[in-house]
Amino acid sequence: MKLKKYLTLTRAGIMESLQFRLGTLVIVAGNLLYLIVVYFLWKAIYASAGTDIVNGMTFSDTLIYLVLATALFNFMEMYLVWEIGRSIQSGKIALDLLKPMEYRKHLFWSCSGSFVTQFFFTFLPTFIVVAAVTHGAIHLGWNLLFFVVSVVMAVSINYSIDFLVGTICLYTESIWGINIMKQVIVMLLSGATIPIAFFPEPMKTIVYYLPFQSIYNAPLSILLDGNPQPQTLLTTLGIQLVWCVVMTVLSNLFWKVSLRQITVNGG
Amino acid sequence: MQRKGFGFYLRIYSKILAQDLKSKMSYRADFIISTIGMIFTNIAGFISFWILFRSFPSVGGWGYYEMLFLYGFSLVSLTPVQCLFDNNWSLRIHVYSGDFIKYCFRPINLFFYYQSEVFDIKGLGQFAFGIGTIAYSWSKLGLGFTPLMLLKLIVFLLTASLIMIALQNAAAATCFWIQNSFYLLDLVTRFKDYAKYPITIFSPVFRFIFTFVMPIAFIAYYPSIVILRPEEIPLLSWLSPLIGVLFFWLSYKFWMYGALKYSGTGS
Repeated sequence: MKLKKYLTLTRAGIMESLQFRLGTLVIVAGNLLYLIVVYFLWKAIYASAGTDIVNGMTFSDTLIYLVLATALFNFMEMYLVWEIGRSIQSGKIALDLLKPMEYRKHLFWSCSGSFVTQFFFTFLPTFIVVAAVTHGAIHLGWNLLFFVVSVVMAVSINYSIDFLVGTICLYTESIWGINIMKQVIVMLLSGATIPIAFFPEPMKTIVYYLPFQSIYNAPLSILLDGNPQPQTLLTTLGIQLVWCVVMTVLSNLFWKVSLRQITVNGG
Repeated sequence: MQRKGFGFYLRIYSKILAQDLKSKMSYRADFIISTIGMIFTNIAGFISFWILFRSFPSVGGWGYYEMLFLYGFSLVSLTPVQCLFDNNWSLRIHVYSGDFIKYCFRPINLFFYYQSEVFDIKGLGQFAFGIGTIAYSWSKLGLGFTPLMLLKLIVFLLTASLIMIALQNAAAATCFWIQNSFYLLDLVTRFKDYAKYPITIFSPVFRFIFTFVMPIAFIAYYPSIVILRPEEIPLLSWLSPLIGVLFFWLSYKFWMYGALKYSGTGS
């Protein structure tokens, strides 16, 4: 069975992430703090705007968007650049490359365990609380299905970008700098810190042509659109699919080329 | 043991610093990439403000340049903790592996010796960016300039730094009791992202919490208002130098208490 060997890795990952309960508690506390700050910040922003709707978004729209973006971030962020970078620095990568599984797949399935735990312990509770508190601001219908499809593609794009950036560490041997640049670019241009609807004009168009908005903006706009036009839905999902394929191919190619570069110092 | 003077410590520090810089310079690419990454982060913060203020005139009565001033102030006040106390991040690793015991056998102050070992140069990029932001918003706000104001700025920047250093020391020192202090350190580090918002946007309850329980407001808001709005300085602003010194002293005692009861791992 092919799938079985992957699911074993998932199971190991779940058990590993359940080991660090105190860490999870502190992360939840940190997120709550972030949400409190975001709530008051945007409340003050909307209070001084004078109107209820700015750039087509109300206060509660913006808040739901940002809260769910945080939840998605916690679900998707695997600190992969660190993982790859550290195994390059320590030389552990030599062992990983010897495994009878492609490195890319092995890494993905090792992370998949924490996808599962993060989904059930952060994303789902946040989603339920938001849906209950806002009384139907999230439309529960077919858009949920499209949202799931969109999130799956977002995970794939995010993973490819991480893998691509992680590969750069083979050349630079600098992890912190590379990782922080990636994080800053993704967080800003994906609309995770400020919804893309607020971006001024030339910037907005440029951002829509980049892969990053497919990670947070695309799934969230599908979820929050209570009454979607088939055309917009198809465009959003189509763009995601294109980026999904492009980034997978690109990151795979780059990895294969870079692998010849690898030098491991001793054991 | 005879107490060593300030000059003695200064001499030792410059010697350790020179060694550290030499070893850093052998990884020149890492240094350059990290510095660029740091500047990236700061520019992204700048761009977020810019985007926000394109759609909204002010945030809770605070204008664009006033917010920029707060942002620049927080960047500069966070530089010392970034540059001089970066070794706190490795504390849990040293403690866990048993390496920490080597610091206990030096005939100089334990805390001083441990912190002096690492100087993080990339913080200097942030420092330059912060100074630039302060100068830019200062001139746009037309605050005027007197030597007294400059003196006030320097004094209050220093006290703001002390608060952040104290928070980080305390968070790092928890690793003497709990194994993994990373999450706490990470949580405290996230405080600095919230320091750039004026405390007045929060509700009274959270204003209290962010002043007395988690003193985020002392990192930028209370100290910088002395320059920014000299006609409405709250008492807490004048007290902040005192509070900064007190916090630093307490965190030092806490750190040393943990370090002195450290008994090694036996290896």
